[in-house]
Amino acid sequence: MLYYDQYHVPETLDEAFDLMHTNGGNYKVLAGATDLLPWAREGRGGDVNYESMIDISKINDLSKWQLQGKRINLGANVTISQLLNNPFLRKHIPVMAKSAVWFADDQIREQATLGGNLVNASPAADATPPMLAMNAELRLERKQKGKIIHRKLPLDEFLTGPGKTRLEAGELVTRVECDSMLGYGSAFEKVGHRRSLVLSTVCLAALVSLSDDGQVFEDVRLALGGVGPVPIRLKESEACLISQPIDSDLIDKSAVLAVKHIQSRTRQEYRREVVYNFVKRGILGACKDLNTTFADIDTDMKHRGNYG
Amino acid sequence: MNAPLRKFPKQKRGRGVAAGWYGIARTATIDRAAAWAELDDGGTAKIITGVTEIGEGILTVLAQIVADELGIRPKDVTIGDNDTARSPEAAHAGATRQTYMIGNAVALACREARQRLVKEIAQKWQVSEDDIICSNGIIRTLDHSQSMTMSEAVKYCKNCGVVPVGSGTFTANHTGLDPENGSGNPWQAYVYGAQVAEVEVDTETGEVQVLGVWASHDVGRAVNPQGVEGQIEGGVVMAVGQTLMEDYKQEGGYPTSINFAKYILPTSLDVPQVNSVIIEDPDPLSPLGVKGIGEPSMIPTAPAIINAIYDAVGVRIHSLPATPEKVLAALREKRERADTHEMLA
Amino acid sequence: MASLDIQMTVNGRPVKQSVSPHLRLLDFLREELHWTGSKEGCGAGECGSCSVFVDGVLMKSCLMPVAKAQHSEIETIEGLEEQGKLNVLQQAFQKTGASQCGYCIPGMMMAATAALRANPYAGREEIKERLGGNICRCTGYQKMFEATELARDVMNGKLTIEVLKEENEEGPFIGSNSFRIDTSSKVTGALKYAGDMVMPQMLHMQVLRSPYPHAEILELDTSEAEAMAGVEAVVTHRDVKGIDGFGVFTDDQPVLARGKVRYVGEAIAAVAAEDLLTAKEALKKIKVRYRQLVAITKTEDAIKPGAVIIHDDVPDNIVMHIPIRKGNVVKGMAEADFVIEETYYTQAVEHAYLEPEAGLAYLDADGTLVIQSPSQNITHHRQKLAKILDMPVNRVRMIMSPVGGGFGGKEDMHYQGILALAVLKCRRPVRYVFTREESIIASAKRHPFSIKYQLGLNRDGLIQASKIHMLADGGAYNCSTEGVMRKAAILAAGPYAIENLMVDAIGIYTNNTPSGAMRSFGAMQSQFATECHLDLCAEKLEMDPVELRRKNFFKEGDETHTRQELGSVSMLEVFNSALDLADWETGMSNSRGATRSDLAQSGNRPPCTLGARQIPLETIPTGQAS
Repeated sequence: MLYYDQYHVPETLDEAFDLMHTNGGNYKVLAGATDLLPWAREGRGGDVNYESMIDISKINDLSKWQLQGKRINLGANVTISQLLNNPFLRKHIPVMAKSAVWFADDQIREQATLGGNLVNASPAADATPPMLAMNAELRLERKQKGKIIHRKLPLDEFLTGPGKTRLEAGELVTRVECDSMLGYGSAFEKVGHRRSLVLSTVCLAALVSLSDDGQVFEDVRLALGGVGPVPIRLKESEACLISQPIDSDLIDKSAVLAVKHIQSRTRQEYRREVVYNFVKRGILGACKDLNTTFADIDTDMKHRGNYG
Repeated sequence: MNAPLRKFPKQKRGRGVAAGWYGIARTATIDRAAAWAELDDGGTAKIITGVTEIGEGILTVLAQIVADELGIRPKDVTIGDNDTARSPEAAHAGATRQTYMIGNAVALACREARQRLVKEIAQKWQVSEDDIICSNGIIRTLDHSQSMTMSEAVKYCKNCGVVPVGSGTFTANHTGLDPENGSGNPWQAYVYGAQVAEVEVDTETGEVQVLGVWASHDVGRAVNPQGVEGQIEGGVVMAVGQTLMEDYKQEGGYPTSINFAKYILPTSLDVPQVNSVIIEDPDPLSPLGVKGIGEPSMIPTAPAIINAIYDAVGVRIHSLPATPEKVLAALREKRERADTHEMLA
Repeated sequence: MASLDIQMTVNGRPVKQSVSPHLRLLDFLREELHWTGSKEGCGAGECGSCSVFVDGVLMKSCLMPVAKAQHSEIETIEGLEEQGKLNVLQQAFQKTGASQCGYCIPGMMMAATAALRANPYAGREEIKERLGGNICRCTGYQKMFEATELARDVMNGKLTIEVLKEENEEGPFIGSNSFRIDTSSKVTGALKYAGDMVMPQMLHMQVLRSPYPHAEILELDTSEAEAMAGVEAVVTHRDVKGIDGFGVFTDDQPVLARGKVRYVGEAIAAVAAEDLLTAKEALKKIKVRYRQLVAITKTEDAIKPGAVIIHDDVPDNIVMHIPIRKGNVVKGMAEADFVIEETYYTQAVEHAYLEPEAGLAYLDADGTLVIQSPSQNITHHRQKLAKILDMPVNRVRMIMSPVGGGFGGKEDMHYQGILALAVLKCRRPVRYVFTREESIIASAKRHPFSIKYQLGLNRDGLIQASKIHMLADGGAYNCSTEGVMRKAAILAAGPYAIENLMVDAIGIYTNNTPSGAMRSFGAMQSQFATECHLDLCAEKLEMDPVELRRKNFFKEGDETHTRQELGSVSMLEVFNSALDLADWETGMSNSRGATRSDLAQSGNRPPCTLGARQIPLETIPTGQAS
């Protein structure tokens, strides 16, 4: 159970920082509470006690978003439901909607925030691979000597391990910035033990942009979750395809390169095979999203079993 | 609604079938249940019995039985709480026994109560008791020459100084098993079931989705067919869970799947369309002929699914649950054997 | 003690209350306002039974600190009714028979309401997705989908309200789809389960449970806990005045651990205190000193010579062995054309009824001990309690509270005795509500089985002999192990006429969670093996698996495996009707999925691909937010 004596709902960032300051160390910041409350239970965090809860979900600035050049700037409090349903977000970062449809369920999507999900840093988090694939950067702010100062960290540097991030004491993630993916095709693959409200065993985000004639990969972004302490970008797999003509052998090679990144402690064999399949499925799916046809692409298991 | 076959070659479909059987009420030991019935003011009825409604719908089944026995309607029936200080023993909820044991006990109790009422009315009308029928809240002679409402009849009966109460006790004469060879008569009523399952296997992730189940079950006599369907649908889905995703794990005696995040139950997105057909082979040894469905509904499902997986992708999973990991590993093994075979050929 | 002033509107009524700040919205609604319709099925956002509308958005109230809902408008299940009459959706649930135990129903109704509010024309796939955060364990969801679609069509004027009426107002009623008599209490959230019940002067119980699978208790000191302010009673095995021990077949389980613990989660001591927090704090003050013993977690280890003894009176760790012997199996196998062997395994399964165990116990005015709990066998429990408490049987009263799902898991008396001891000690009402985690680790599971199966068959498919050897992990206490072995032995060989049989079902003690009664126990596991094995045999015999079964099915007058003469046998009729219903295409079982023609007919649902409710971008009205 989660126990606390005070519950604060600041309306501005400034207020939030002041509260954090006056409460010394004995506070917990929360947004949606959808990770915290399930954790504070027998068999996991157990009975957890704080003096103060600081609920930042009502800070208006953190719920807004805008297009800045070729980047989308999202407030950390953007909910998963907004990522799923909002037309503007679906236009610019549709891969988030594809991942959001797998995220928990309707109710939790309304309560859970993007910032909260990233800070929770679960190795299997569904929102993280797409964000990594879109070159996400986090804006971290804190108040020092009466002034709010900020710094930026790329998402892949922010996440350091299961449940671990570079968030420092007194800091809040206020914004998540990522590429606008207009013109890209996207796909999201996930497998768990059932079809709703389930932890990912493996999840993958794939983004692809093609040449005008649809025959050459202009850009490829691939990111994987559930296979190690943190979700990762598959840079080698991407590099092997970029600027290359679309070809099934090459896609297969790209998939083989991804497999060696599996660092999970359990079910390694399973994850290796699924990753290999997902990379191919993801790339093809992202291409299909652009309505390209592949009459002659046959990626049917050319190297099945030989992915090392 | 037709579910079109997907053109995605990595998903493969298959079908499997399985049969099953089960015994009704307590195993290899005499079973018993009792009930009290009273035809009450307003032509309603009060039924007291140690009935344990756990969601399967037994209360409604009893109300329907009472309605037919007494000639009233289910909404006229009040069933008392299950309370050791207030209701007669009807034993437990389990062994698919309640419709059989308590249904019959209640029917017997109703017959006694009805008889007390009918005796007074028969005397009033100067007809034989066999000449009287109770139905839809009316009591009348077969030829319709005399009639009154059940409400009036109860009032009349009580004015004669007779409260139309009854009690019933029903026995199932099961015997124990011989300790050496197991011979004996563990049940007097048996039920049979069979199910067909259709699955789709994703050969890239090992996921199995059960798309349809066609179930046929002998229930003796269906008191509430929709309720029987509900038990079949629920039983099938519980079995789907156990076949594909549920696994209570312990390591060295320490439980590790202790919450619903780790212990995976089927959600609305995991369930097959369940199609049911009810077969009625009435039990000849009991007043009503009813048998049961609560547990038999989930016996053929798991093997039907496992057989369907084999039909789809040629692997037999012999340990439950057939998780995506197990299915994919079996597929991989099959491929490797085929490759080796090819190499050696 | 710190407090928080909460103001909100609940079901249209303004509410103002000062509460402990750490309450969740669910606690506020249930414990402070007594709107008990919303349930706590898991407390971790996994089951949806706590779903309520917060400012028009459906949320899981167990995941919401109450302060988050400050100044909000809350709608709960109790708000759906219209002037005491069921609304269209509630009537639809009644019409399709979509409510069984009722525990998931409030949350499910809220989800269905949310679905139709979000999209009044939602199709089945979208309805399924929108109910995807709500678990039901009883119904299989199908009638809930049907109910939601029915309500949708009535609300859209596609169907008239007449379709929601009961089909048969006049008898005969046997054979008719009469409305369930308990549906209205369930779809309105009005029905009170044990965890919803409160009484004046009621205390709250918490139970200290074993952290080890097998250990001796060297010291058990409750003095510090007893001395705590707010603690009214602490109970241990020492408080048992009669003959300790309960169970279904043997009374091998003490109410509270006596001298040793045999599984992780076994109850050791309990505290009854003024509030839950105090009770939990008091548990921490109970001092226990353990000496860990070797824990047996595999059945093979339990029956090895020299294995640690789990129950002193059962030195070989074998709870029950049920044999069936008929004819001459050795001869039968020798004469068979094919002998096919395989081993099958089934796992431990959790009942996962949506209602975690709960009980409210108190002393009647005349001193009778009363226990209200969702017990599946109050008669049996009362007998055990009377013996344990050394009280006359009619001075112990057990009342069955509405059961939010049982499936055999509420057949064991694993907490009612503890409540009884506490009430007798402090003479005040005591309530104990399990968390989901507690329910999972403390209560019995389905027996895991390993089944060695050998069938001898003739070339033409007739079964000559059947040899089935089953080992079941009974866990730490008997519970229903004896009954499970018996049922497994009797039914294992399936509905097939077999002359030569050797069946053994052996239930074994281990230090795992006790295995007990669970829906179709013994039969589900053994017949899983039988029906998989028959398909395997059909393949080896190059025979149609349907024909193989038909050839061997019981017929009227046949002798069963326990040598009982069967009366009428509907097996063939049942089997054929299932195949007809499915339009089954005849054929061998050599994995012909790729070529068979009876796939994807009506009666299937489409595979779930998610995204059914994703409205194409172009159709979203501009200006509409999430």
